[in-house]
Amino acid sequence: MSAPVVAAEHLSKWYGQVIGLNDVSVEVGPGITGLLGPNGAGKSTLLKLVTGQLRPSKGGVRVLGEPIWGNPRLFFRLGFCPEQDAFYERMTGMEWVTALVGLNGLSEPEAAEAARSALDTVDLLDAADRKIGGYSKGMRQRVKLAQAIAHDPELLVLDEPLAGMDPIARRKVIRLIKERAAGGRSVLVSSHILHEIEAMTATILLMHNGRILAEGNVHTIRDLIDEHPHQVRVRASDPRGLARGLIAHDDVLKLQFEDGAVVLETDRPDAFYGRLTEAAATGALGEIHEVSSPDDNLQAVFDYLVK
Amino acid sequence: MSSPHEPPPSPSRPDGPSFLGSVARIYDLSFGQMLWSRRTVFMVLVVGGPVAVALILRLLVSMDLFDAGGEIDGRPVNIDGPVIFGLMIWGFYLSFSVPLLGVFYGTSLIADEVEDRTITYLFTRPVPRGAVLVGKYLAYLVCAGLLVLPSVVLVFFLVVPLLGGSVGAGFPDLLKDLALLAVGLAVYGALFALVGALFKRPLLTGLVFIFGWEPVVIVVPGYMKRFTVSYYLQGLVPHAMPEDGGVTSLVLRVLQANEILPSATVGLVGLAVIVIGGLALAVRLVERREYVLEQ
Repeated sequence: MSAPVVAAEHLSKWYGQVIGLNDVSVEVGPGITGLLGPNGAGKSTLLKLVTGQLRPSKGGVRVLGEPIWGNPRLFFRLGFCPEQDAFYERMTGMEWVTALVGLNGLSEPEAAEAARSALDTVDLLDAADRKIGGYSKGMRQRVKLAQAIAHDPELLVLDEPLAGMDPIARRKVIRLIKERAAGGRSVLVSSHILHEIEAMTATILLMHNGRILAEGNVHTIRDLIDEHPHQVRVRASDPRGLARGLIAHDDVLKLQFEDGAVVLETDRPDAFYGRLTEAAATGALGEIHEVSSPDDNLQAVFDYLVK
Repeated sequence: MSSPHEPPPSPSRPDGPSFLGSVARIYDLSFGQMLWSRRTVFMVLVVGGPVAVALILRLLVSMDLFDAGGEIDGRPVNIDGPVIFGLMIWGFYLSFSVPLLGVFYGTSLIADEVEDRTITYLFTRPVPRGAVLVGKYLAYLVCAGLLVLPSVVLVFFLVVPLLGGSVGAGFPDLLKDLALLAVGLAVYGALFALVGALFKRPLLTGLVFIFGWEPVVIVVPGYMKRFTVSYYLQGLVPHAMPEDGGVTSLVLRVLQANEILPSATVGLVGLAVIVIGGLALAVRLVERREYVLEQ
């Protein structure tokens, strides 16, 4: 059996009186592993411990066979795409990625080449010389991903990488993640949306209240998820036109309008997302800017599971 | 033999940059960010103050509205351009602008990245956290130097020629003053880098130190003044001030009367200890500390 890329043993993290992670022992193998759980489940805490940003309160975590806390050399082999939407806004995408990958010891031309290649991979080369402050949400997500992959790390850790992306960008990023895994790299990716994780991998860690609730195959949990209605918020140029096109299908249970967006409820997320991606690609229902999903539906499943 | 999961080699170098190499790269990344920040705009106004005063002074002299003669401590003193320049170095720069720059930039070296939530990108790269701090400290030093030193040179050329002063004769003193201010920036920056790593509200702590602690303790007889930066800086001030009997003797008398004047050697050693000790402690704290970002 292959050595685990991440091994946590009785790993706990407290923020004062608040428990972020509670006695987690888990081994993450090579390939793609999805970390699934509602907001506040402890996903980000676990990823921050895995990337050495936090020190364990108790227990330990090893990444690629080495302890991560206070071990910056491990970042030659590790790439991290954080959840927060934070940048040096005045830098261009090219300058920013070049500067960050330069911290890996590459010379300036090598760093520029690595940055160019990474920006090309995330389809951002055309906007590489624009300031990040002028990027859309989806472009900001992609440039974050570019800095994480620019040094071609063995393990890529992604915290909610698809949040705020339009359907086409989502599909491309999912393909990128799969290609990395096919190339022998490992990916640990978090999301609160089962559909996203399921599109990338069948191997999941299910988190709730700072604990690993279940680990293994995604299909078990997805049957449960499908029993609960799934909410999707779509920001589009013509929300009413989009709604007219989608409500015609019987898997859309209800909808409501918000400012520049429509929130739909579906009981068959797979079919729904498939149709939405197709609509975005063809432009048949107008321009789709952003797709997001509140995790109330997932929370309902977790409530069911922990009863 | 390779296992099926063994990844291909990564293009980044396993040996990576040295500590100093990392410092240089962080400096490159931070300098532009620091120089074009809103903080710098504010600081341009701070160091622009003495230039404005110098311009007003020039105007007053040209309109014959400035009285160059006077008395200090019952002795007649002839105030000329170099004397005014010396007083401005002490009053505007060393006592105000330099400590303020140190506080505003030094306390924010790491705090700004934490507040902007961009620290993650630096702390998830193969560079020691200490190198991040030192690289940003050097960026501060160059950035603050670029703000203060041109302002001093401008004031020198505006003020020194006034009332019979000579630019040529005063030039060596200008170089000494520039060196003194650079030392001041280095010392206050290192001290407040430590404050920034140590305290939750470093800016408030820094302002209390420079505008509360230092001015009060420095004039109180006793040992406490050794816990200020200005005590050690004062050890260097008379040697860098214009060789004018009036001002030099006045400053010396005031300082000596309060037993607050250390020797130049004590001053230099004290300042070196603050820079090296402050930075070393700050590096140690940053290496060990967790930074929990607000979501």
